[in-house]
Amino acid sequence: MASNPLYIVLCSGEHEKIQMAAMMASVGAVSERPVEVFVSMNAVLAFAKGSTPEERYRGGTFSDLLKAKHAPDAITLFQQGKELGDLKMWACSMALDVQGWELDRLEDDLFDGALGLTRFLSDAENGQLVTL
Amino acid sequence: MSERTKIDARGAYCPGPLMELIAALKLVRVGDEIEVLSSDKGSANDIPEWVKKVHHEMVGITEEDGYWSIVVRKAK
Repeated sequence: MASNPLYIVLCSGEHEKIQMAAMMASVGAVSERPVEVFVSMNAVLAFAKGSTPEERYRGGTFSDLLKAKHAPDAITLFQQGKELGDLKMWACSMALDVQGWELDRLEDDLFDGALGLTRFLSDAENGQLVTL
Repeated sequence: MSERTKIDARGAYCPGPLMELIAALKLVRVGDEIEVLSSDKGSANDIPEWVKKVHHEMVGITEEDGYWSIVVRKAK
C-alpha cells in the first residue's frame, strides 16, 4: 500500500525549523513516502544560491550546536531526499514576487518550480500537512 | 557471491548514517550487505526501523566501544 504523502509548509527562517523540515523531508522521502515541501516567507532567504552557512542559518542555541557539531547540512539533506527518494520542493510564487526574485536566485537542482499556495493546499488534501 | 561494504559514519548525526546507508544500497546488488558504523544512538534505533519499513533485511546490530555496527542486506 502506498504511504500517505507528507506535505511540509516551511515558512520560518530559523535554522532549527529549516533543519527539522530537512530531516522530515529527507527521511520521509527515503522511506518510500512521497514528500512535497512548500518554501515561503523568511525560509526562502535561506535557500539563496551561493550563501555561506553563516549567512544561511540563523537561530538560537540549537543552531549554534548544530553548526558546532557539524550536524548534516539542511540543504544537503534536501538534496539527498531528492536524489534518493520521492521529494518535490516548491518555492512560493508570492514570496519570490515580494522579494523580487526569480527561481534562479535559489540553490540549483533543489526546486521543482514556483507554485501558488492554493495549488499546494489543494494537493495537500490527499496527505498529511505539517507547518514549520 | 554476496559482498559486504563497510561505511564508517561515526561522528555523523541523525539522519547522516541512514542517508549514507541508503546511498550505498543504491550501488550494490541484491543480496549484498552494508555494514554501517555509527556513534549516533538515534541511528542505532532508526536504521533497523527503516530497514523493516522498506523491506530490506537486518543481518545484525552489535554495540561496540562507543559505536554500533549495523549490518543490512539489500533484499530488493
